[in-house]
Amino acid sequence: MPNRDQKFNVLITGVSTSIGRHLASHLCDDKRVGVVLGVARDEKPYYFNDLPSDRFIYRACDILKYRELNNLFLSRTFKEAQINAVVHLAFKTRISHAEDVHELNVNGTKALLERCIATQTIQKFIFKSSNTVYKLRPHNPVFMDENSDLNFDTDVDQWIKDRVDADMICRSFMDNKHMNIVILRMSNIIGRSVGGQFNAYFDSPVIFKPMGFNPLINLLHMKDVIQAIRLAVFKRGAHGIFNIAGQDTAPITTIAELARSRVVSLPEPVLPLVNWVQRKMGMTTYYYSVDRERQKYTALMDIGKAERELGYKPTGRVEF
Amino acid sequence: MNRQQRQAALALARKILPPDEFERAVSMEVNDAGFGYDAFGLEKETTVLALAVLRYVYKYWFRVESHGAEHVPSKGRALIVPNHSGVVPIDGVMIAVDLANRMKKPRIARAMVDNFAGFLPYVNVFFNRVGSVIGARRNFSDLLEQDELVVVFPEGTKGVGKPFSRRYNLVRFNVGFIELALRHRAPIIPTAVIGAEEQAPLLFNIRPIARMLGFPYFPVTPFFPLLGPLGAIPLPVKYHIFYGPPIELFHEYGPETLDDLEKVRMLADRVQMVVQDMIIKGLDQRKSVFGFGE
Repeated sequence: MPNRDQKFNVLITGVSTSIGRHLASHLCDDKRVGVVLGVARDEKPYYFNDLPSDRFIYRACDILKYRELNNLFLSRTFKEAQINAVVHLAFKTRISHAEDVHELNVNGTKALLERCIATQTIQKFIFKSSNTVYKLRPHNPVFMDENSDLNFDTDVDQWIKDRVDADMICRSFMDNKHMNIVILRMSNIIGRSVGGQFNAYFDSPVIFKPMGFNPLINLLHMKDVIQAIRLAVFKRGAHGIFNIAGQDTAPITTIAELARSRVVSLPEPVLPLVNWVQRKMGMTTYYYSVDRERQKYTALMDIGKAERELGYKPTGRVEF
Repeated sequence: MNRQQRQAALALARKILPPDEFERAVSMEVNDAGFGYDAFGLEKETTVLALAVLRYVYKYWFRVESHGAEHVPSKGRALIVPNHSGVVPIDGVMIAVDLANRMKKPRIARAMVDNFAGFLPYVNVFFNRVGSVIGARRNFSDLLEQDELVVVFPEGTKGVGKPFSRRYNLVRFNVGFIELALRHRAPIIPTAVIGAEEQAPLLFNIRPIARMLGFPYFPVTPFFPLLGPLGAIPLPVKYHIFYGPPIELFHEYGPETLDDLEKVRMLADRVQMVVQDMIIKGLDQRKSVFGFGE
């Protein structure tokens, strides 16, 4: 860990995502942070021009390309920045799922992690995971802690498999002596321009759900996402897996009502087809296959560990 | 339910219940996690309406008489541990209605239900909204930590699905409730329900059909499946519920007891004996099964 006088210099992958953009802006305002090095695949987006150029450096890099990743880590920019913490956000949403997305989500995470360990100067690696890694069953307890079973089912959506794989890859490096790895399993993030599943679900004017089920879900405000990542970065010695959820917990129909979406309950076997038609007609970007179980069974995140060890306390309220 | 539906539910409950009982029902406390639900899905308005409707079943169908409600603590965590029977598990519902009616300060009883309730459409939602929770150990712990009044049936589904010939003979209690009572320092209220064991005399259990449907048992009673869904309506037996004085095992047995499985087993057997004794006494006091002339 940086000593008390030393600044935190943070590398953010996937900085052009909504979370990355907010995080970069918050870190640039934080006196404990020296430099923020933002990395994304595309050229520098216009909105980063507002950030102070002496504290925020943007670099286009495809972490999937070995040479580009290597060049990043060998570059003068990287060396001068003296990066000591990495926040890995470059994880594609289900909407853009394709062959290369699987590569990015799983192999990209592994390549980045290995490269970070090889530097021996990066002391913290924070991976934003998701609650979709947990296996849901009818007899689940209502609260899932970090030791709950992961979803290793073979018939689940490829995107969930990628999430679980990436989570497991990070876990497998956790005994590393030089670098603390923090996995933040976040519940459903709701906010403008966030590409989450439930965000897309409640954006739709008509939402379909299985008949006879109405589970409670946790929502997470962007403010709390940033809070959790910042705590993971700054908390000395923090490592391990943490569930992160917000204050808002309600059944699907209640949230739909707040989002002014009309709820239509249909028999479960019909839902994949209806969702496919909705997507083809451009009515939604939501993938039912990812949340098949989540639409039936309640599984809230137990954030006790994050509260105790990180000092996390949700404060944001989701507004529609 | 949305706001209008909630108001409608309360208005309907107000019409059904006498004013003082409505006020009692509405005064029951809920740990609201926001949006009118607790973390386990309990919704006060649905619960009040359900209690109002079930009060008729309680008062006119089963004509429930209860004794010893003063033993149930008006606040803090506690476990109600009754016998379980009757094919259709109405005994838990009647205990919940009884506690709402008889306790000085009414409380919502949180019944632990079998896993299979979780995948039944509509049933799972209704159960959650009226305070029932899937019987996972973690749920049990969380409810006690929230100082809730938890109803647990240590006989499990074996109790509900036991044959008529075995009525009022308890199936051996599971030990989980002892473990949690000790861990969370919760008093146990032994409870005997007399009457439920005759409400639907189970003659056979057709296991292959039960397995196929994913149910714990498929009952054959003198009326079901012969009379179709009507045959599933329980007989109008008279219920007697007896609550015993609290058993506070945590004073005698510390957390180290949990490592001694034999001792935990012994304590479960001890509570079972208390409930069995209460059943025997209750049966002695009972004048008739249906109690119409009483």
